[in-house]
Amino acid sequence: MRVAVTVAAALLLAQSASAEEIQKSAQADPRGEVVISNVAGEVRVTGWDRNEVHVSADLSDDNQRLEFRTSGARTTIEVMLPKGRSYHGSTDLVVQVPRNSSLTMTTVSADQTIKDVRGMQRLQAVSGTIQTELWNEDLEIKNVSGEVHVRGHGGKGMLRATSVSGGMRLDDIGSEMDLNSVTGDMTVRVSELSKARIKTTNGDVELRASKVTDDVRIDAEAINGDLRFRFPRTLDAEFDISTFNGDIDNCFGPKPHKTSEYGPGNTLRFKEGNGDGRIRLKALNGTVEICNR
Amino acid sequence: MNEFTKTGRDPLDEALASLPEDVRPERDLWPQIHAEIAKTPIVAAAPASTVQSTWFRLAAAVLLVLATSFVTYYVTRQSLQTPIAQNVPESLPAPQVSSQPASFSFGAERLGAGYVSARAELDKRFQERIATLPAADRVKIERNLADLRRAADEISATLAKNPSDPLLQDLLMSTYQSELQMLANVSELPTAGSMRTDL
Repeated sequence: MRVAVTVAAALLLAQSASAEEIQKSAQADPRGEVVISNVAGEVRVTGWDRNEVHVSADLSDDNQRLEFRTSGARTTIEVMLPKGRSYHGSTDLVVQVPRNSSLTMTTVSADQTIKDVRGMQRLQAVSGTIQTELWNEDLEIKNVSGEVHVRGHGGKGMLRATSVSGGMRLDDIGSEMDLNSVTGDMTVRVSELSKARIKTTNGDVELRASKVTDDVRIDAEAINGDLRFRFPRTLDAEFDISTFNGDIDNCFGPKPHKTSEYGPGNTLRFKEGNGDGRIRLKALNGTVEICNR
Repeated sequence: MNEFTKTGRDPLDEALASLPEDVRPERDLWPQIHAEIAKTPIVAAAPASTVQSTWFRLAAAVLLVLATSFVTYYVTRQSLQTPIAQNVPESLPAPQVSSQPASFSFGAERLGAGYVSARAELDKRFQERIATLPAADRVKIERNLADLRRAADEISATLAKNPSDPLLQDLLMSTYQSELQMLANVSELPTAGSMRTDL
């Protein structure tokens, strides 16, 4: 027992001795591009009002190296690992960037947290949660199994998000979106919806729009998942809803009818207001529910 | 120089004027034509052309996905060539990588051999890339790909029974697109290997 405790203490000491914290900074273009890559651990990026990129890296052992370089308006931060060796460590990065920078981040199993970065963002991860904000520039997210959380600020940036099995929670995002998921569920809150294209295979979609534009365009489809949309009390749009096996629930009033007399399928087409917008919802086995309250 | 008859008219004009203004047919053909029209069912040409345009749209989408994917592949090929030792616990069982493609029982032949071979190439790159991912992620991706392919199979089988259903056509095309997009997205995923270097 005593030997085990001694060995464990020695290992802990050895690890803390080899762990390294690195601080680096460089002048940066206020609207430049910051590129970050990390394998495992965590990356936190915050926008600030200085024309400078600063990184604080907590490297877990000597086998890692932090690459920090600038070229023109681009700043690159990469955690480099030794080639051809099995590696089990992780690295935490805390990065400050000029607030209007654009950001490209690639991680494997690291969590990404971004705050107050207002330029265009392209975020990609295999696993690990991606948490960011949407302002006036576009945001593109690709994640496989991690969760995606986006908080908008009523800006006009467009959101493109693809997730395989991770869920998406999108609050107060911009009026345009393109969302894809296989099994992850999506919960979407939009203050004003203009264009949406949403696809899911087995996940459920719940979308709530406080307001929609007069020329709103929505195309949503699900194979086995349900589509639940909440719209404002009044809107100008033409609805075209069809399911093969699923039900259609409609709070607006008109009832669905069977697509054909003998086969399966339900269809519901109706117009609200002037009907300038187009809302098309399709499902194979899932339920489609639309409501205005 | 033209010759004229005693009436002072062109003989050709006279000949034309002498022709009867209408010729009655030996028998009235219209009742028979009407009967034939009535007993021939009206075949809507639209579904056929819709199906065709659907497959053209899918083919176009496939080409777009493949083109994008090929570019990314060549850019990142270098990192793929490095054998990668993953930070994956050795004790995790290696999942069975399913190479079972989605069923193309309804209409794959419409896309031609070029499509099938291009898709196979995309699938090959997917298999290469997924082998480098952590086991837990591999399992999730494979499970989701299987879900997509199962959905495609289900729609395809239903479409075989309801071949003119436009909803099923749309959903099948969309599911095939999703499958291809997923193959392409996974092929482009970052791996630990792409971030390794000689220190």
